[in-house]
Amino acid sequence: MAVQETFYEVMRKHGITRRSFLKFCSLTAAGLGLGPGYSGKIAHALETKPRTPVIWLHGLECTCCTESFIRSGHPLASDAILSMISLDYDDTIMAAAGHQAEEILEQTIEKYDGQYILACEGNPPLNEDGMYCIQGGKPYVEKLKHMADHCKAIIAWGSCASWGCVQAARPNPTRATPIHKVILDKPVIKVPGCPPIAEVMTGVITYMVAFDRLPPLDRQGRPKMFYSQRLHDKCYRRPHFDAGQFVERFDDEGARKGYCLYKVGCKGPTTYNACSTIEWNDGLSWPVKSGHGCLGCAEDDFWDKGSFYSAVTNLKVPGGAESTADEIGVVLAGAAAIGVAAHAAASVVSHMTNKDRKEMNNG
Amino acid sequence: MSTTAASVHDPKYQKATYVFEAPVRIWHWLHALSIGVLCVTGYFIANPLPSLGGEASSHFLMGYLRMIHFIAGYVFAIAFLVRIYWAFVGNKYSRELFVLPFWKGGWWKDLFHEIKYYAFLTRKSHKIMGHNPLAQTAMWLFNVLLTLFLIFTGFALYAEGLGEGSWADTWFGWVIPALDGSQNTKMLHLLSMWVMLVFVVIHIYMAIRADIMDRESSVSTIMGGWRTFKDDQP
Amino acid sequence: MASTVTANGFSLDDSGQRVVVDPICRIEGHLRIEVNLDESNTIRNAVSSGTMWRGLEVILKGRDPRDAWAFVERICGVCTGVHALASVRTVEDALGIQIPANANHIRNLMMLAQYTQDHLVHFYHLHALDWVDVVSALSADPAATSGLQQSISKWPKSSPGYFRDVQNRLKRFVESGQLGPFANAYWGSPAYKLPPEANLMAVTHYLEALDFQKDIVKIHTIFGGRNPHPNWLVGGMPCSINVDQTGSTGTVGMVWLNMVSDIINKSIDFVDQVYIPDLKAIASFYKDWGYGGGLAGKNMLAYGDFPINANDWSNDNLMMPAGAIINGDLSQVYEVDVRDPEQIQEFIDHSWYKYADGSRGLHPWDGETEPNFELGPNLKGTRTNIEQMDEGGKYSWLKAPRWRGHAMEVGPLSRYVIGYASGREDIKEQVDGILTDLGLPITALFSTLGRTAARGLECSWAAHKMRTVFDAMMANIKAGDTSTANMEMWEPSTWPADVKGVGMVEAPRGALGHWCHIKDTKLANYQAIVPSTWNASPRDGAGNIGAYEASLLGTPMANPEQPLEILRTIHSFDPCLACASH
Ligand code: HEM
Ligand code: HEM
Ligand code: NFV
Ligand code: SF4
Ligand code: SF4
Ligand code: F3S
Ligand SMILES: [Mg+2]
Repeated sequence: MAVQETFYEVMRKHGITRRSFLKFCSLTAAGLGLGPGYSGKIAHALETKPRTPVIWLHGLECTCCTESFIRSGHPLASDAILSMISLDYDDTIMAAAGHQAEEILEQTIEKYDGQYILACEGNPPLNEDGMYCIQGGKPYVEKLKHMADHCKAIIAWGSCASWGCVQAARPNPTRATPIHKVILDKPVIKVPGCPPIAEVMTGVITYMVAFDRLPPLDRQGRPKMFYSQRLHDKCYRRPHFDAGQFVERFDDEGARKGYCLYKVGCKGPTTYNACSTIEWNDGLSWPVKSGHGCLGCAEDDFWDKGSFYSAVTNLKVPGGAESTADEIGVVLAGAAAIGVAAHAAASVVSHMTNKDRKEMNNG
Repeated sequence: MSTTAASVHDPKYQKATYVFEAPVRIWHWLHALSIGVLCVTGYFIANPLPSLGGEASSHFLMGYLRMIHFIAGYVFAIAFLVRIYWAFVGNKYSRELFVLPFWKGGWWKDLFHEIKYYAFLTRKSHKIMGHNPLAQTAMWLFNVLLTLFLIFTGFALYAEGLGEGSWADTWFGWVIPALDGSQNTKMLHLLSMWVMLVFVVIHIYMAIRADIMDRESSVSTIMGGWRTFKDDQP
Repeated sequence: MASTVTANGFSLDDSGQRVVVDPICRIEGHLRIEVNLDESNTIRNAVSSGTMWRGLEVILKGRDPRDAWAFVERICGVCTGVHALASVRTVEDALGIQIPANANHIRNLMMLAQYTQDHLVHFYHLHALDWVDVVSALSADPAATSGLQQSISKWPKSSPGYFRDVQNRLKRFVESGQLGPFANAYWGSPAYKLPPEANLMAVTHYLEALDFQKDIVKIHTIFGGRNPHPNWLVGGMPCSINVDQTGSTGTVGMVWLNMVSDIINKSIDFVDQVYIPDLKAIASFYKDWGYGGGLAGKNMLAYGDFPINANDWSNDNLMMPAGAIINGDLSQVYEVDVRDPEQIQEFIDHSWYKYADGSRGLHPWDGETEPNFELGPNLKGTRTNIEQMDEGGKYSWLKAPRWRGHAMEVGPLSRYVIGYASGREDIKEQVDGILTDLGLPITALFSTLGRTAARGLECSWAAHKMRTVFDAMMANIKAGDTSTANMEMWEPSTWPADVKGVGMVEAPRGALGHWCHIKDTKLANYQAIVPSTWNASPRDGAGNIGAYEASLLGTPMANPEQPLEILRTIHSFDPCLACASH
């Protein structure tokens, strides 16, 4: 086996000068929201560490996390894949197929036991013995568990791996299950979004490679650096929200003036992601900027929270119907008012008959 | 004959008694007022008013609605804290809101009696110095449990705005994942408003009805603190 | 079985050595291919098994039709947006909603951008390594590579130094021993025919294309807010146009329109100066690799797409025409009616589903989706450790769609053959051009290579058509029309109680249809038949084999241990299994 190279060595070999290498490090530091002092640390880490092996598995999913990944502008996906990490297995792009591809998994376990990162796109179905996702003739969940046993840490790409996503939407026919509910003994870094933003994906990887540690996670297991604020907290339409200026209907006057999309269902106030700050596709735009409300695609179970065009959440009420809290509330409060009125009327009647009887008794 | 704390059938209790001390009464009206403000502002946060024209910089409607909501939220929460404190230092009636004496047989008996009374199955209400057990249960459900729920969810939502690491996030941030995310938390907060309104409607009715029909004073008690009785039968 | 002839006229023989390729890599989703070889290692039987299912059609039941696009968009992130478009079209069709002209232009632009990016990525990143030997590029002479590049294209990145740099980069990468995605592949196989210089040129463009593709999709970002998975809207598009009033910087205004125009120009340059010349150069070395025809020479289907004027689905108004060709008879292009219950039906005799009423074919409006995982009696292995599929029983998560009972091939090649047979000038010109350049007869189209060539031509067609559509949209805006959405029927209270709709899209991989049934404002049924469902289809009850299966027959393998030939032909379809089974 050839000697492992450091990231810096690889970059040098690729014709990248020390100056542009350092520039890359400072851009990375800035991209991660770190101060300028950090770029030196990143440079040091990349100069001395071998390329981290990454095994990228696909379960039930739509491959748009991969598609998003290759849209990364900083760093370019080509640099990330060829220079920063060693993407040793990814059935979507690898040249080998069949048993030649599967052999790589065992080779990786042999060479890098406990050292590789397991990147999971999609999730395993558990119904039907897992046979809703068959790979190499076996249930995907077996492959996932096997590779998880020997990895260092898991990155759960996208809402599929993090939460379950669309295939787990009611009634979840395949019992698609997020990674952290299947793998209980390894750290799982959730990078939700359907898909996640490209630079968030490469940012998480860069961080782990550069600092050789897991990014700090929030209560729900997401990297704080990208998921600690709601879109609403940094939305450029926020002044219109505060002013009470809303798009009432798509393509109305307010829409043309860039008013707030809350009334047409924007989930920005309840969604944790970096869209309103980092934005999409080289920082060009994001859903709200293009005129459509946020669907809440980075949130757990966002498919089953009611209409994408109403900010008020739907509730499942007994009987299977769905309604909003307001609809239920009006019914409840209305019922209370009617009940009270009826009770008042009954009380009056009861009082009168009581009096009658009293009078009869007295008389 | 059982003698629960609240239910008394002995004629010696028929004379006027000081039940609600001033802090309880002040709290009651602050509580009621803040709920009123929270419901109105909260409703218009969930269902904003028709859009205003002109420049964003010349309006701050949602901003003010939210600000008032948060101020009322603070009043609501702090007043409740003070009320809890008063339960420790106040008279025995001040504890009734928090402690349901369900371990006492008589309490249950009175509870069923009250239910029968309101269902017109019996004519005569029991005279009760503090809260009757039915009212007490309702008070506990809506004004302790639901109030706490609104405070916890409210400050959890508030923490989202203050941000990760803020005091509110430290104290209440855990509520969001526990309730299955931000959107659910908000929805439950909104739903709780309606549940609270159900209480308010019934409560006000009951208070006025009691004043007219029952044998003890009601509205004047929560105003002045004294419980008086209209007859001296047991 | 040993030896049989299928209903659609293919000879099968399963007596020889069985070769299993699972996973097929460099595709979207999970696909297993099994073949039988005769003594001369020629494929005599082929089995295509889609091995994933998520149940989107089940999940959609009872949902708000206006939300459906977001669900179905997640059928696939590679052909992102195409299902969303089919979805808004099916709902608009059911409710009788007419979309504004700008919405039509924007949708066309987004779909053309999708073709351009998807085809480009397919060629370089999913398909090229079937033809291009990365390791051989190490021994290329950079000066000769430069000469080759300059002789076929005016692409400016062509100096000997440029190619030397890439080669050095590649050398050190290989020397590092961490080969990443290039490990364990079939380098050095005699099936690779390119000279080292052509290999180096192609590998260089592999990297260039990877960097460039992300710019094409910015057209989606501008109109739909992001890519993958941009936003759509029943009734039009959610992006408002405002070019001259207050707030225009926050909507589609001058800056973004300029950006779109710029991306279109760059896309045309890249496709015409890199992709097409590479395609021709590579093809010229594989001209005699004439395998992989299968259904292409027989049955082809297209629904047509890209309406010039909004809401008009007549063939004359479509930039890409509809039609069906049966038994390779190019003189007759049949009309396709996706509403006719006799024309399009799905069968499940060999699919892991069950119908309430046995195995009758169902039109999607009456479609049923109920999973039923059961394996044939001749399976080798166990239920959860399948060594060899029994194609006599159920063996795929794909249904088997048929047009008037025929298994059909869909995709760029079908579109091009149908366009050619319908006498479309733009298509004829392109096809005749490449055939003349390569010195090949039209029949050469019905092959793996033809499929790959058609995709390249279509990529160029799409890039150029973006210009046409953009100019038409600008003219419309100039004429004072800035409307992007028709919201008259937005409220469910305005909807009829019980309606059905169908939405068609020519997706990058072929004819896509979504059928919906809206009852009391909710989806009572939702069915999708997807391009890869047609192509990767398992057998039907009548014994017709699908396009993947048919295309592999008769192909000799250089080395049964190395499934290069299988990869070539299967990749030429650009498989998407998440799409196919959904
Ligand atoms: C948001 C509105 C209100 C809320 C949440 C509320 C809540 C409460 C609570 C928690 C108590 C028990 C006090 C304690 O034991 O510490 C109480 C007592 C009482 N409230 Fe209210 N109140 C509201 C409005 C009103 C109004 C408008 C009236 C007058 C019409 C009223 C009349 C009374 C009376 C008469 C009592 C004493 C009940 C008794 O005699 O046991 N309340 N209320
Ligand atoms: C009786 C008590 C309360 C009622 C009835 C109430 C009602 C509401 C309602 C209806 C909403 C709108 C929810 C939606 O948009 O779906 C809301 C939002 C909110 N409430 Fe309350 N609330 C109460 C107490 C509190 C308290 C104690 C706090 C703590 C500060 C609080 C903080 C908030 C916050 C932060 C929001 C979100 C505002 C926004 O996102 O703009 N609430 N409340
Ligand atoms: N097959 C397919 Fe798609 C396409 N093109 C969908 O309609 O790839 Ni994901
Ligand atoms: S998270 Fe969303 S985008 Fe990513 S694979 Fe899943 S469905 Fe696709
Ligand atoms: S558009 Fe959405 S995220 Fe932006 S301010 Fe309005 S509600 Fe918040
Ligand atoms: S839908 Fe997703 S991409 Fe961002 S704006 Fe909302 S989190
Ligand atoms: Mg289907």
